[in-house]
Amino acid sequence: MNTLVKHLKIEVKKHAFDYLLFLTAGVVFLMGLNIFRGERLLEFIILLSFVSFYIIWGIYHHIIEDSLHLKIVLEYILIGFAILFLIKVLIFPF
Amino acid sequence: MKQIIDTVHHFFVPRHTNNFTAKLLHHDFLTIYLIVAILFGVGIKHMQQTGNILGYATDVTVQKLYELTNAERSKINLNGLNYNDELAAAAKQKAEDMFAKDYWSHYGPAGETPWQFILASGYQYEYAGENLAKNFMFSDGVVKAWLDSTTHRDNLLRSEYTDVGFAVVNGILNGEETTLVVQMFGKPLYSKDTVASQRPKSETVVAQKPDVVEQPVAKPIVSEVLAYDNTPQNNNFFSTYLNINMVFFAILMFALILDFYFAAKLNLIRVRGKNLIHFMFIGFIAIGAFIIIQGSIT
Repeated sequence: MNTLVKHLKIEVKKHAFDYLLFLTAGVVFLMGLNIFRGERLLEFIILLSFVSFYIIWGIYHHIIEDSLHLKIVLEYILIGFAILFLIKVLIFPF
Repeated sequence: MKQIIDTVHHFFVPRHTNNFTAKLLHHDFLTIYLIVAILFGVGIKHMQQTGNILGYATDVTVQKLYELTNAERSKINLNGLNYNDELAAAAKQKAEDMFAKDYWSHYGPAGETPWQFILASGYQYEYAGENLAKNFMFSDGVVKAWLDSTTHRDNLLRSEYTDVGFAVVNGILNGEETTLVVQMFGKPLYSKDTVASQRPKSETVVAQKPDVVEQPVAKPIVSEVLAYDNTPQNNNFFSTYLNINMVFFAILMFALILDFYFAAKLNLIRVRGKNLIHFMFIGFIAIGAFIIIQGSIT
């Protein structure tokens, strides 16, 4: 457990701005969903924006870190879109 | 037993058998998740077209709404409400009027009031009230949202009401397929207790109508399957779907934590995305899913 916390701290400290940016985007995403509760189209737009931000964040972060690779971009896209399609059913249950 | 442990390690822990990345996070597995997610969407659409699950009704049902409403009232020792077909008809009329005139409010664009619908249904009221909700996934979410709002809560827990009627109606509102819930409360103008309190206490009158005086207004809460409930039902389909999603998210997050932990412990250098950001992303989405299944009330 200590090892996990130690490495998390190192990772967050090393890229504090990037993680803070993502955290802010996440909070905005949740606030947006809460504000537009029941508005299905807007909920989907907010979800799509957050998924897009996540993929762009991944590309941006790995460019800054000088570790960008097609495999990494693909990883973000696959996770992002898998979750997008799963949640879409809850937004448009028809 | 050793084989089971080995398999679990293979899926969750980075080691030589999985090229030092948890197998559940490999690209081939991520591709499978995406394909399964797409198939879910297509499959659900297909099931709706073939009639196995309903077009766009969610898991909100009149029966559940009625049970939950009376359960909340009984918690503070209020009388259970009787289901009233006239109020239910008024609620249905109100929902259909909102779809027809494209509004989402207690009052219509031409000044239509909820009371008009109640009176038009033939229910003469002494007290009446209305709660509205739209696009909720589950009945308990609707009642919880009403309870969380002071005005709706006051309406739901008003002691004067004796009757209630519900309508769960699907239609197009503002260009979107929408599920509306209308809850109408009332107390009839000449309810039995009103008549009792207004009647002069003469022996002659009581003798003429003894049943009026003796009949209590409060009825026990009905919990059996009720004949009036013709709400489209999906047999908890969306509840199961939500649970499957949450289990999937939990497994993925668990794999990400273990992968991060062992990669850090073994000082592995890999061409991979950031586990911490994947973890945060899935976490936000999981919380978001619980907001999405909540609709809005007015």
